[in-house]
Amino acid sequence: MGQMIRFGLVLGVICLVATLVLAAVHEVTKPKIEEQARIEREAALKEVSPGADTFKAETADDIEYYEAYKGGELTGYCLKLMARGYGGYIHMVAGIDKDGVITGVRILEHAETPGLGSKMTEVKPGEEDPWFLRQFVGKSAASIEVKKNIDAITGATISSRVVTDAVREGADKLMKKLGK
Amino acid sequence: MTGEMFISIIIGTIFVNNFILSRFLGLCPFIGVSKQSGPALSMGLAVTFVTTTASLITWVIYDLVLVRFHLEYLRTLSFILVIAFFVQFVDIVMQKKMPSLHKMLGIYLALITTNCAVFGVTVLNIDMFYPRGKPMAGGLGMAVLQGLGAGIGFTLAMVLMSGIRERLEYAEVPKCFKDIPITFIIASLMSLAFLGFCGFSV
Amino acid sequence: MRITGELVKGLWRENPTFRMMLGLCPTLAVSTSVVNGLGMGISATFVLVGSSAMVSMVRNVVPEKVRIPCFIVIIATFVTIVELMMKAYTPLLSRSLGIYVPLIVVNCVVLGRAEAFASKKGVWRSVLDALGMGMGFTWALCVISAIREVAGNGTIFGYPVGVSFSPPLFMILAPGALLTIGLLIGLINHLSLREDGRR
Repeated sequence: MGQMIRFGLVLGVICLVATLVLAAVHEVTKPKIEEQARIEREAALKEVSPGADTFKAETADDIEYYEAYKGGELTGYCLKLMARGYGGYIHMVAGIDKDGVITGVRILEHAETPGLGSKMTEVKPGEEDPWFLRQFVGKSAASIEVKKNIDAITGATISSRVVTDAVREGADKLMKKLGK
Repeated sequence: MTGEMFISIIIGTIFVNNFILSRFLGLCPFIGVSKQSGPALSMGLAVTFVTTTASLITWVIYDLVLVRFHLEYLRTLSFILVIAFFVQFVDIVMQKKMPSLHKMLGIYLALITTNCAVFGVTVLNIDMFYPRGKPMAGGLGMAVLQGLGAGIGFTLAMVLMSGIRERLEYAEVPKCFKDIPITFIIASLMSLAFLGFCGFSV
Repeated sequence: MRITGELVKGLWRENPTFRMMLGLCPTLAVSTSVVNGLGMGISATFVLVGSSAMVSMVRNVVPEKVRIPCFIVIIATFVTIVELMMKAYTPLLSRSLGIYVPLIVVNCVVLGRAEAFASKKGVWRSVLDALGMGMGFTWALCVISAIREVAGNGTIFGYPVGVSFSPPLFMILAPGALLTIGLLIGLINHLSLREDGRR
């Protein structure tokens, strides 16, 4: 019995030291991690709502979105969307103006197949933004559909469709909620 | 959880994203134990039991303890400890209740602790079903289901490979490719075949 | 063994990837680009050196029966440190490597060296051994990543290789990894068989 207690004690002490060390490292890195997340989020919001300079987070039921303002005037909305893709969840941000026309779409996180579904964030050499997502700009959110007015990525129809449907349905839901 | 999600997770974890042939989790035992079908199957079943139960335990700990006290960063530490103690527990119970099985598995039972598939699926469960600090509806069920699928997929790959390797004993393999390299090359062909499942959608 | 011998053995003769077949899971999963391979190699080396040093320091204090859980806790601590640092300072790489960063905790190389070496030898030797193993792991990773990135994506370090060709996609995917490592191990076996034959 005494042996068991000794074992438990040694393990316990090591665990305690480990936890303390990790708590310290966590405290040190936490602000930086949160900062990174914030920078990334703001960059994405600015990309999907060109011209806007401030964003106000809002929620309507279970929809999380941002109101985009340029110089104090409401220019549109940014939707935080999450859709079930091939390799897991795809997190994205879609910007629409007050009439429901898409101003930009950005993928934040995904686990799609490298070389196939992951091509949705691929930027062709010489260009500035992903060609797949550029297709969405200028189209009415209610009208986008793969094969109709959106070209799917070759070999990644599912990933393409998932993103398109998510933007269309999310925007539709929001517009209805706002009574437009 | 809808029926669609149920099938999607099961098919996805066993075939499309097979833990060994696609995610490369669980390779050490795959190379080490897949020479004969008997041990391969026993190993597979033992791993399946551990992945399923570990998925349950680690999810509950994450949900009720780690997130509640903002200790998410202790995930790696706590999960691996849970797995280590659980495998030890299984070892002790198996020694008493199923001694023949225990003898057959031998040292490989303890090695399940360091099996990437076991730890991997527990981390994957959180990454996939606990996005941004909030569990999805039915998350626990999805996690356990994925754990089960991971084990079944692992067992499937193990049994398939052992069947091939048993036959390979009669083939003339160049000396420098004998044993390990040829196993990898066969695995690459199996993996290529499993890639065919990529088109499935539910 | 001479001091430098401890360091150098991990690079070729006892290379963890090609000779000892340890740490294969992350090697195959992460070797889709040289940047990823390098990132994983350096992170794993950090964990290796830190945990081997620590394990060696406490080797006389920890009772034998609980040594594995204790080693696991020590390794898990270093892995978590790496996880947090990467999330804070190299978020893109952290995202790229995904679950394979926490998976360093079950990397056979790390626990293997702690158990086989650091728990028995002095701190300085353990650190050198860990460093050598880590570097061996890293260069093996880089070689495999380079082959897969060039063959499967036509780039290296993200830069196009110069010759334009349509890359066979499967090299970046799972089968390519298994094929590459199978052929490489076969090649290395062949080379060492020849060397043995000459002696």
